[in-house]
Amino acid sequence: MACTLDGPDLEDVEDAAEWKMRLTYHIEQMMFVSGETAEPTPDTTGMIEEIVRQQVIEMLVQCTAQAGRRGSRSISTDDLIFLIRHDRAKVSRLRTFLSWKDVRKNVKDSDDKGGGDAADFAGGEDATAAGVLGGGGPVGDAAKKNKKAKVGLPWEVASFYSEQVPERDDEEDEDEEEMNYATLQRLKNADERTKHMTRDEYVHWSECRQASFTFRKGKRFKEWAGFGIVTDSKPNDDIVDILGFLTFEIVQTLTEEALKVKEAEDLVKRESGGESAQNCRKRKRERGLFDPPEEGRTPIEPRHVEEAFRRLQRRGNKGRAMRNFSKALNRTPLKLI
Amino acid sequence: MSPFANNHNLNHQPWLPPPHVRLPYENGGDAPHYHGLVTQNGYISRPRTPNIMAEGMSGAEQGSIPTEGELGVEEDAKVAVFREMFVRSEARIAALFKGDEGQGGGNATAVKDGEPVQDVNGVAEAVSEDVAPKKPARAIDEDDYDDYDDEEDEAAPGPLVVKKAITIPAGATNTLSPARPASLSKQSSTSTKSTSPPDQGKTSEEMRKKLEEDKKAAEEAAKRSFNTIFYTLENDRDAMLEQQKLEESDRQVDAEIGNGSNTNNAHVTSAVNGQQGKLSNANLGASSLTLKHLIARIDAKREKVRASDMELRNLMSEVRKNRSKWADEEKVGQEELYEAADKVLSELKAHTEHSTAFLSRVNKREAPDYYNVIKNPMDLGTMTKKLKQHAYKSKQEFVDDLNLIWANCLRYNAEPSHFLRKHALAMRKETEKLVPLIPDIVIRSRAEIEAEERRLQAGDAEGEIDGGEESDDEPIMSSRGRKAPGKQAKKGASKSRTAKQAIVEGTPGAETKPSLHSLGSSGSSNLKNEVLRADSNPPFEGSQNGLSTPPPGGTGTFTPGINGAPGSGPPGSDVMDVDFGTVLGFGLPGSQEDIEHEDLEYRIWKTVTKKDRALVAAERHRLFKGDRLNGDEPALLRTKAGMRRWMRRQRQAVAEGAAAEKNSGEQKDGDNAEQGAETLAEGMEGEEDRVLPDYYDPLSAIPELHERLRWIEDTDGQVVEGSGEFLRMVSKGHFLSPQSSLTKKIEANMRQMQETRKICSKIGVIKQMQLQSQMYTNQFQKYNPEPFVEADIPPHVVSDDGPIMSPWVCRAALQRSVGKILYHAGFEEFQPSALDAITDVAADFFTKLVRTLGVYHEAPKVSTLVPAAGATSSSMNGMEKKWKPMFTKEEIILHCLHENGLDVESLESYVNDDVDRLGAKLGVMHERMTAHLKDLLRPALADGGADGSNAFNDGSEQFVGGDFADEINEDFFGFKELGLDKEFGLSSFTVPLHLLQSRMHNHYQAQNTSALPTLLSCFPTPPPFEPLTRQNIKNQIGLVQNFFLAKIHAQKDGEPLVEDEDLPQKQRFPKPRLPPTGKITSPRKRPAKEQGGNAKKKKKVENLIKGGGDADKENAKEGVKEGKMAAKLKLTLPPPSAQDAGKFSEPEKDDTSGVGMMSPESIAA
Repeated sequence: MACTLDGPDLEDVEDAAEWKMRLTYHIEQMMFVSGETAEPTPDTTGMIEEIVRQQVIEMLVQCTAQAGRRGSRSISTDDLIFLIRHDRAKVSRLRTFLSWKDVRKNVKDSDDKGGGDAADFAGGEDATAAGVLGGGGPVGDAAKKNKKAKVGLPWEVASFYSEQVPERDDEEDEDEEEMNYATLQRLKNADERTKHMTRDEYVHWSECRQASFTFRKGKRFKEWAGFGIVTDSKPNDDIVDILGFLTFEIVQTLTEEALKVKEAEDLVKRESGGESAQNCRKRKRERGLFDPPEEGRTPIEPRHVEEAFRRLQRRGNKGRAMRNFSKALNRTPLKLI
Repeated sequence: MSPFANNHNLNHQPWLPPPHVRLPYENGGDAPHYHGLVTQNGYISRPRTPNIMAEGMSGAEQGSIPTEGELGVEEDAKVAVFREMFVRSEARIAALFKGDEGQGGGNATAVKDGEPVQDVNGVAEAVSEDVAPKKPARAIDEDDYDDYDDEEDEAAPGPLVVKKAITIPAGATNTLSPARPASLSKQSSTSTKSTSPPDQGKTSEEMRKKLEEDKKAAEEAAKRSFNTIFYTLENDRDAMLEQQKLEESDRQVDAEIGNGSNTNNAHVTSAVNGQQGKLSNANLGASSLTLKHLIARIDAKREKVRASDMELRNLMSEVRKNRSKWADEEKVGQEELYEAADKVLSELKAHTEHSTAFLSRVNKREAPDYYNVIKNPMDLGTMTKKLKQHAYKSKQEFVDDLNLIWANCLRYNAEPSHFLRKHALAMRKETEKLVPLIPDIVIRSRAEIEAEERRLQAGDAEGEIDGGEESDDEPIMSSRGRKAPGKQAKKGASKSRTAKQAIVEGTPGAETKPSLHSLGSSGSSNLKNEVLRADSNPPFEGSQNGLSTPPPGGTGTFTPGINGAPGSGPPGSDVMDVDFGTVLGFGLPGSQEDIEHEDLEYRIWKTVTKKDRALVAAERHRLFKGDRLNGDEPALLRTKAGMRRWMRRQRQAVAEGAAAEKNSGEQKDGDNAEQGAETLAEGMEGEEDRVLPDYYDPLSAIPELHERLRWIEDTDGQVVEGSGEFLRMVSKGHFLSPQSSLTKKIEANMRQMQETRKICSKIGVIKQMQLQSQMYTNQFQKYNPEPFVEADIPPHVVSDDGPIMSPWVCRAALQRSVGKILYHAGFEEFQPSALDAITDVAADFFTKLVRTLGVYHEAPKVSTLVPAAGATSSSMNGMEKKWKPMFTKEEIILHCLHENGLDVESLESYVNDDVDRLGAKLGVMHERMTAHLKDLLRPALADGGADGSNAFNDGSEQFVGGDFADEINEDFFGFKELGLDKEFGLSSFTVPLHLLQSRMHNHYQAQNTSALPTLLSCFPTPPPFEPLTRQNIKNQIGLVQNFFLAKIHAQKDGEPLVEDEDLPQKQRFPKPRLPPTGKITSPRKRPAKEQGGNAKKKKKVENLIKGGGDADKENAKEGVKEGKMAAKLKLTLPPPSAQDAGKFSEPEKDDTSGVGMMSPESIAA
């Protein structure tokens, strides 16, 4: 966890090519964290990057429209969260992330003295950024000290009323727990994967988990995402962070789906080839991170990503319910992953 | 009017002068007739071709056929009676003439009823009278025409006889006076020969009767079957096509003739010095006399009349009273023969089933060698043409031509299996049946007859006087076409007519008639006359047009004398009968039995209804253009007449089906009566009766009224309210959301929200009060939301069972539900437009949901193999097919939800997350809110300790403020007891905040001054305090005497002390005022001082607790400093307090003001 909390802007000096390389590298890292063990080809990462970018731009466009409806010119975090409101688990993770970010900021503001502490919080932040709820001892202490501010959302019960009432400590938000279920599931999976890792492997893993589109690359990211074109160019810091979080989620979802596609494909191949699927799966389970790749082990290819994207874009009947009995074709907007 | 007269009205419109000719007083009476004419034309003009007249003739005839038939059927009995009478008188006359030719006439007249005799006398009078005065022609002329009707009406009792009696042979009008002897002689001659005609008449009559009965039976059978058998419409197309062909051939014939006449006209133009346009030049037969003035008039305005001569002539001949188009002055017997022949011919043509092939000439392209085989081609079209050209001179010629057609066909199509042979045979059979109905007449020219008569007269000149009377009988034997003039002559009612005749008599050369006479008599082809003839009824046209059928005889056949006079007599009467006979005979079944093997009933149906079906099909056909509806076609409109007919038939059917014969007879009578009642309206619409079942005329169908909607009257003429027992109340709560556990939860949530909002508003008020130093009474609106109650519709009565279709109410109900959901989702209020939009979306969605439901519900059933109940053994045999819905109800619902983007899980999660959990969250929120409110109001209570004992540590101000009263929920202060809760609208037991607030209190007082006087009036006002002076200071208690003395000394000239209340505003000591929180937000002078004092007091308390002693000293110092003020405060406060003490719990206020904190817990809730 040798990560310093330098200001993000300091690192914004790299040029475009470098940024591209780093981006590719980060996508690989993210994919690795999401379960892809082999090294994907540049085609795959490029495709994923484009998909992510498309998603980000779509998000920004929708946010801007939403903000415009509110009568505001600049987008707010609420707009962004509103887009993913139906995915409770993701919202929950995002809120956790934001509240930890808040905590970190507070800590940084209040006592600048303890760099170690800050590093701890940073670690915590990173953990949440990777979708892991930091539950370590020192973090818990800090949380107690700086009361974790809950991020309120405009469509929650608290905002029904004209008066804001301070949170009470004793109340456990039960649906928060439920929302965290998916998060915990992820953590469990991650645990499962890291169980047998050696120390080095784990370090690599941890590094990979820190991969982010935005961390310390704010300016380039903004350029990349089209700030200033699709929306105003001075976004809130939070928005960039949320986007960083969401992009990670996108890559992760995409990779997981692509892996599923690939697995299915492999299964078909293997069954047609006569090899027993169970045997293979067993071996896969036992395989270490840095084991030399087996002959059957191949990275995700663009077609898998395509298929995964297609599956993720498939929409239910809800979207077309109101078009029943009418012959009108309508534009199907990009579905946010 | 008698049925026959009726007939005539339908067949030939009585002549009416055009409106401009008529006198004004006639207009009213004639209107219906005129209208009738128009409607007939309307009927005529149905075919699309503009050739109205040509078509109209045939159309009118077609239309009239069934009517005539029906009337004939109905009036059969009467007819029979008349006929009997006629036959009897005929026989008697014959006997008379046979037995005693000389005196018989006198006897005959004696035997006859008086009418004709009178007539003759009338004629005699008329003649003698009318020769002298030549009256202004026109007016009287019209008078005459009117008289016709009247006379006819008078004659109604014996129509047939009268009709026959009044008919006079053609030319009689012209030759009335001079030819009297001649006609007499003719009459006698006819009489002599009349022995045979009655037989002939009888046979044909019997035949006619038989045919008529057959036809009647057939038609009746067919009509009965209307209500019992449904015939498919598949043959209609054939019928239509055949009918079209028939019409087409008719039209062609007409067109050819028309062309001929046109060319003829052109010819005339060159020949007759451009006088061709003159109608007077045209031969209109006898009508040229009767219509002389009209014709003259038309001629004068010829250029304005937009009709060809042909048309005009047709119009004339149609309009002429009871005059057939075949009538010709010059041709004795032509009318009779041609009328019969025409009937037969059209009858044959109407036999479209078989006649189609024979309608027109054989095309050379179709059968190249036809004209090699057949040298004398003939067809029905050509025959029609010839008929119209008056090419037939005798029955034999006509019959020969007919037979020629069939023979040609049989010869050309020699092989026995040829399909045309079948038709030819059928037609021949039909011909054989019909031919006997044609009177055997040879047409002779009038002149010839007259010549013969003259010859005869020369022969037997006896009995001139008798002959004069004998002329009464004459008409009996002539055609009905002569009725009018004959009658005219006899009755002598028309003076001008006779006068005219006199003129004619006097100056024969001036009229066209004589010239025609000369033509007829000479028989030569005078150019001019020939042209004239050609113009009217041209016999030579065929040859001029180069038709293949030249008139058989040409002019040469005009030579008379072959048969002599007798033919024109009695057979004429037969012709009339034949009319009916042929008409009635057209539906003869059975004859084709050997030709086609079909269901008899079906064939009858086909023959009876053929023409009408064809017409209906054609009408229907016209609505389409290709395979599509023709938008340009005028819309179909239902007519009153049609609907009436429909109803009548319907009733008839019911009567026939249900009741016995007697009943049906009564029913018919009723119908007739009703018809009579309705005739006025019927006349307006020109009823056309078709022999077709009702389902051919769906346009006229009237849906059955539900019995509860009928207009039923009881005996007193009051309308019976039939709908009463069918009404029902809409059940209560029809428009309320049903009470389910979900709605209960939702409503509980909403109530919870309202409660929480109440608390919220209190918090808001307190926060505002903390920020604001001054408050206004109306600043804080009391937040007191009404609970949600769904309003039901007022009691409503409906008569049917379905849902209430009231879009606005339904929409309002939906909108209310949407509003509830919105509120439940956290929107306290919403814009109406937003609510509207969401309601629309919701309505749309639900519509789609229900439509999907319908689609799945109506999915076609599927067959499944179900083991049959009885079978046990084999697998396939034991199964039976069963049809069942494709989806079960559950499946339908699930499919619907899926199609509309829902599923059970999402619904469940909505209930769980958005209702149940929301409720929990709301509860938590409420608690938090209340807690927060308490925190705001009672900071001290926060650390009150477990048992609340610590609450007293800081001076127990919550008890002073009265907060606890709310908590213990008891009327601790007795507000209720005092009735204050009602007076001030208190809803809690705590002390109202505004009472704790001094300014509010002042405000309140100011506002409630009106309440005080009432109090004062109750009690005597206490005497004002006596102002303190040096004198009365002794009255005060000793302790304060010094103090007051000092004060008085402080006053300048020993004036009495002024009460604090009377001080000017500025000098008054301000009352201590604190915001509800107790914190002093703005630095103010005096309260600050006091605050300081208070603080010291507080400190003193603390010090006391600590045990410090220097507080006394400070206190003393302050006492010195503020002594005066404090004293004043102390002194002046009591009066108001005393005043208010009874009403409010004010006194505490002063005490609390000393305690730094004041708890305004009790904002009016």
